[in-house]
Amino acid sequence: MKKHYGFFIDAERCIGCFTCAMACKNQYHQPETVVWRQVYPISEEIYPYHERAFYSLACNHCENPTCLNVCPVKAYYKREDGIVVHEQDKCIGCGNCIRSCPYGAPRYNPEQKKAEKCSLCWQRVDAGLKPQCVQSCPVEALQIVDLATFDRPDTVQYPPGFPKHEKLNPSVRFVVPQLPKVIGREDI
Amino acid sequence: MSNIEMPLVLFSVLSQTAIGLTIMNSGRQIAGDDFIGEGRRQWGIVLAFLVTGMVASFFHLGHPLQAYTALKHLSTAWLSWELLGVSIFLCLALFGFFTEKEKKSGLVAFLTALVGLLTLVFMGMTYAPPGYPALNNALPMVFFLLTALLLGTSFSAWFTPSEDRSWLCRILTVSLIVGLVVYLIVPCIWLSGGTVMAQTAEAWIESPLYWGRIVIGLVLPLLLIWKIKDIPPWLPLIILIGELLGRAAFFQETVHAASNIGGL
Amino acid sequence: MSTTENTPETQAGICPLTRRRFMKGLLAAGVLANLPCGLLRPTRTEAGEIVYAGDYEIFRNACPRNCYDTCSIKTYVKDGVVQFIEGATESTFTRGGLCVKGYGYTRRPYSPDRIKYPMVQEGRGTGNWRRVSWDEAMDRIAKKILQIQEKDGNLLGLALSKYSGNFGITNYGIEGMMSSLGYTTRLTGTPCWPAGIDAQNFDMGDMWCNDPEDMVHARYVILWGGNAAWNSVHSVKYVYEAKRRGAKIVVIDPIMTQMAAKADEYWQIRTSTDGALALGMARHILDNKLYDRDWVMANSVGFEEFASYLRENVTVEWAAKESGVPATNIIEMAEEFATAKPATIWIGYGLQRHVNGGAAVRAIDALVAMTGNVGKVGGGARYGHLRTWGFNYHALLQKQPEGAKGVPGKAEVKGDFHFAGGNDAAAVSYSDRILNINKTAQVILDANDPPIRMLWVACKNPFSQDFDRNKMVKAFEKLEMVVTVDQFFNETVNMSDIVLPVTTLFEEWTINASYWHYWLSINERAIQPMYETKSDIQIAATLSKKMNALKPGSCTFPTEIDSKEWMTKEFNQGIYDLFGIKSWEDLKKGPAKAKMPSAAWHDLKFGTPSGKYEFKSELAAEWGNKALPEYVAPREKTDKYRVLTPHTKFGLHSQFINLDWSEEFNPKPFVYVHPQLAAEKNIKDGDTVRVFNSIGEVKTTAKLSTVVPSDAILMYEAWFRNNPYNVQNVVDDTSSDMGAYKTGQPGVAIHDQFADLAKV
Repeated sequence: MKKHYGFFIDAERCIGCFTCAMACKNQYHQPETVVWRQVYPISEEIYPYHERAFYSLACNHCENPTCLNVCPVKAYYKREDGIVVHEQDKCIGCGNCIRSCPYGAPRYNPEQKKAEKCSLCWQRVDAGLKPQCVQSCPVEALQIVDLATFDRPDTVQYPPGFPKHEKLNPSVRFVVPQLPKVIGREDI
Repeated sequence: MSNIEMPLVLFSVLSQTAIGLTIMNSGRQIAGDDFIGEGRRQWGIVLAFLVTGMVASFFHLGHPLQAYTALKHLSTAWLSWELLGVSIFLCLALFGFFTEKEKKSGLVAFLTALVGLLTLVFMGMTYAPPGYPALNNALPMVFFLLTALLLGTSFSAWFTPSEDRSWLCRILTVSLIVGLVVYLIVPCIWLSGGTVMAQTAEAWIESPLYWGRIVIGLVLPLLLIWKIKDIPPWLPLIILIGELLGRAAFFQETVHAASNIGGL
Repeated sequence: MSTTENTPETQAGICPLTRRRFMKGLLAAGVLANLPCGLLRPTRTEAGEIVYAGDYEIFRNACPRNCYDTCSIKTYVKDGVVQFIEGATESTFTRGGLCVKGYGYTRRPYSPDRIKYPMVQEGRGTGNWRRVSWDEAMDRIAKKILQIQEKDGNLLGLALSKYSGNFGITNYGIEGMMSSLGYTTRLTGTPCWPAGIDAQNFDMGDMWCNDPEDMVHARYVILWGGNAAWNSVHSVKYVYEAKRRGAKIVVIDPIMTQMAAKADEYWQIRTSTDGALALGMARHILDNKLYDRDWVMANSVGFEEFASYLRENVTVEWAAKESGVPATNIIEMAEEFATAKPATIWIGYGLQRHVNGGAAVRAIDALVAMTGNVGKVGGGARYGHLRTWGFNYHALLQKQPEGAKGVPGKAEVKGDFHFAGGNDAAAVSYSDRILNINKTAQVILDANDPPIRMLWVACKNPFSQDFDRNKMVKAFEKLEMVVTVDQFFNETVNMSDIVLPVTTLFEEWTINASYWHYWLSINERAIQPMYETKSDIQIAATLSKKMNALKPGSCTFPTEIDSKEWMTKEFNQGIYDLFGIKSWEDLKKGPAKAKMPSAAWHDLKFGTPSGKYEFKSELAAEWGNKALPEYVAPREKTDKYRVLTPHTKFGLHSQFINLDWSEEFNPKPFVYVHPQLAAEKNIKDGDTVRVFNSIGEVKTTAKLSTVVPSDAILMYEAWFRNNPYNVQNVVDDTSSDMGAYKTGQPGVAIHDQFADLAKV
């Protein structure tokens, strides 16, 4: 069966430590303002404790990627294994993918005047390694999975706080964060 | 979009002006309007708008010299179609300009208008991405049609003797009223939508650009037409300023979906 | 040390270091024949992206920061440039990953902000820096030292401020350098964890924690006053695994920390009442005979006295009133904790940074001991350990020059990491002058016989990490010369006369052990030192050369040293045996773990005078504390609201936060205010506010947050390169209750601070 790589984000395990985001920077040295992976705090309407639950997101390597569809120069292609690759040498920096992606994955590189985004470390994957972000996670909250066979029943594709775009069909699955039992102070 | 995108503001408004003007031109030729001697000048103005817009558009590209490669993805990218449309439109307009002599070329004008209209549709699709929930619908197309209509009609007045402008005045008045209603209602609809739509509405409502477009681009022209009962030659320029402000608001104040990741 | 490599010079033009330019630097470096990896050709895509290309030269490094995790690092080098780093997969603790701070190391040697050359500042704080040669810098410093010697007849006017900026074993050569000059003034002690160290020493005879990896066997885990999710990210997986195996996870903290959010239960406690809560639980356990009678009888002394104290002075209701935790919950947790076997408590360093912090740790130790959880796999009162630090301290141990004079008599230099004692103890007739690092500003102001004329700062940032910053400004005015060894132009450098550029971890050899886990890592030189940077021991050698040139015999430190050789000199058979290695070279294959049982005190032979666990410690009484782990009242409020200044996840004290990569995710500081308090003060989210008390103020942006109690103000300690934010403006130098016994000086009541706040 064909592989279909995607990210599995276990927000119950995630401690919002930004290690994944910095590990990516460590691998690709993106210039200022360019981040391929960002750690988004979940708002208090969804998780009541301020900045205590997170979604670590990069490119979702959508089944039907809007970046690929709207790119006028065919700088994007989707690999057999589902990885959406941006070929920077073809990019003319029109910004259409950046405007189009509701997940904010493609970013504008002001030095190269081109777009760029998470490559799912396909060179590492091809070398039999994990993507740098996945390898870096100290709590195994971020994993790369094969969605063709992935069948964890407690996961969702569109948890609250993650934009729902069924047409794009993002290759991500989430476990939502739980709340601890809180014993508050009696004196305040 | 947090960036005013001035090249895109100029490109979209000016090319839509050119399209609007061509459509008016074609319509009037079909209607048998006689304005011999103005044809070539009108093509010239169309070209002036279009070429200015297209030159501006290069400045929004990171690598303008590779702009031609943007034609590569006609299978799914509306932007490729937009470029194709604009390019054909340019060719036809040039053809019109150089072949327009004493004789009217109704067919060329008609074809150009048709391509222009299609280009408006492509533009509408290009600027309706999932990244901007407030615009991921038919609204950009409506906005662009309105721009073409308002500026096409008003600039048409330059080529219409004052005694024949009354029907232009009527069209423009109705267009301005429609524009005013659309632009006032749209943010209200957004407010009742999702978080990012509502944020977009708030950003627009709080933006001087938006109110500038309402007042300068719609209300003021309406009052002037109502008062003067004509389209003086400077009026299209006022409407153009309004449209440019409105387009700047479109690019700058619309909120991207990614800004609300983690929120409801 | 050679500074002829072209690499640093090539790189020197790279500011800011863009990816494109980085590539050019790489290519330029690639042609250098003197680099071992110069033959490797870079593989690049056409667009010039940095991608994973394979065929890297891999070096072993270790994070030398003051952190639980002390990660083992694998450094991937191409063309003499660090391309990226990863955690060592050989270490089951680090397990292939680092942390948000650690991954920033890839940027650090190449940061445009790095201090590249020795520099002299004309007028402290003016920013009027001038590049000088090493020779000129050393000349100025050496002449000043000789002048002090001339004037005072000794070098007590030369003081050293050094702590945990780099915990590499060879970095103790800084202390060695001072000894090699003569008897000097030493700022000793630790601001970090001394009260808890003393507490554990009184109770058990040493500070010794179980292997964190054995936490998976615990049936009940209390994380008390520490935020592992930010400060020991690699330990969290063991907490999760314990939870998966059925353990209950409880977090006790004044702040709803990230760790609290991941627990089964979070208890919000009134700050500095941890001792009361522990004693309340102990009382309930005692009353219900849930304690481990056999264990207590066999392995402890003083339990009866402790029990009497509890019966006479402690009730659950009292504990509830003191701590703010409802009595029903105290009872419930006491019962659960006492019956879960094994149960463990991870004692965070936060809870001992109080005037009653040592007492609180002793109360918690007692809770763990009375339930028979000390010495058990999956149990233990986990605080820290130094069992894997038995190196030779070759760099540290240097002889004073002939005829050097100091403070008459023998005084022992103590410290949390001082293992090696003095040299030639019998012959000593003079000593260093020992002053309290935790009152650095005050002792500089007070010392007059002789005054401190010159301060050497290394592995330390006093303006960010020492207390009462405004007082520190005054203290520095008294100093005739300040020399700081650092990597970035931080606040202390800003207040110095001379700055010396120091190497990063990639540029020098050393060894790193952890005070938490049981792993040992070697730190190889992965790249040549950039620019004109030198390691601390190379700086010492350079200074020694100059000293001896100006006045032969004035410094005993070797004038030429091989850093790698010096690293090897730190090893001994004991270390080899402990880690099961034949030679230090084995560590090049990966970090090694100490062959120790996972349970601290597994043989139940305690290091106390009685050889048993001491609920009643006469030693504690000798050092001015209660013999029993009695409750000590918190510090009286000195202003309206408590100020808490714990660690941020983006930094370690003043390190990491200033890097541009770090700013990407953490661009500016905030003060966190509970919405209720904010409403009272008419403060809205995003307002600029002023936090102020009698010693100073901090001005920054407010963030409204319910994770902070409504009677406290929360600010994370940090140094931002473009922001004057400094929490030490409002933290005074009040001492904590313990620390003097083992670390030489009491700790600091960092979290017993108070201030008011107002909208600006």
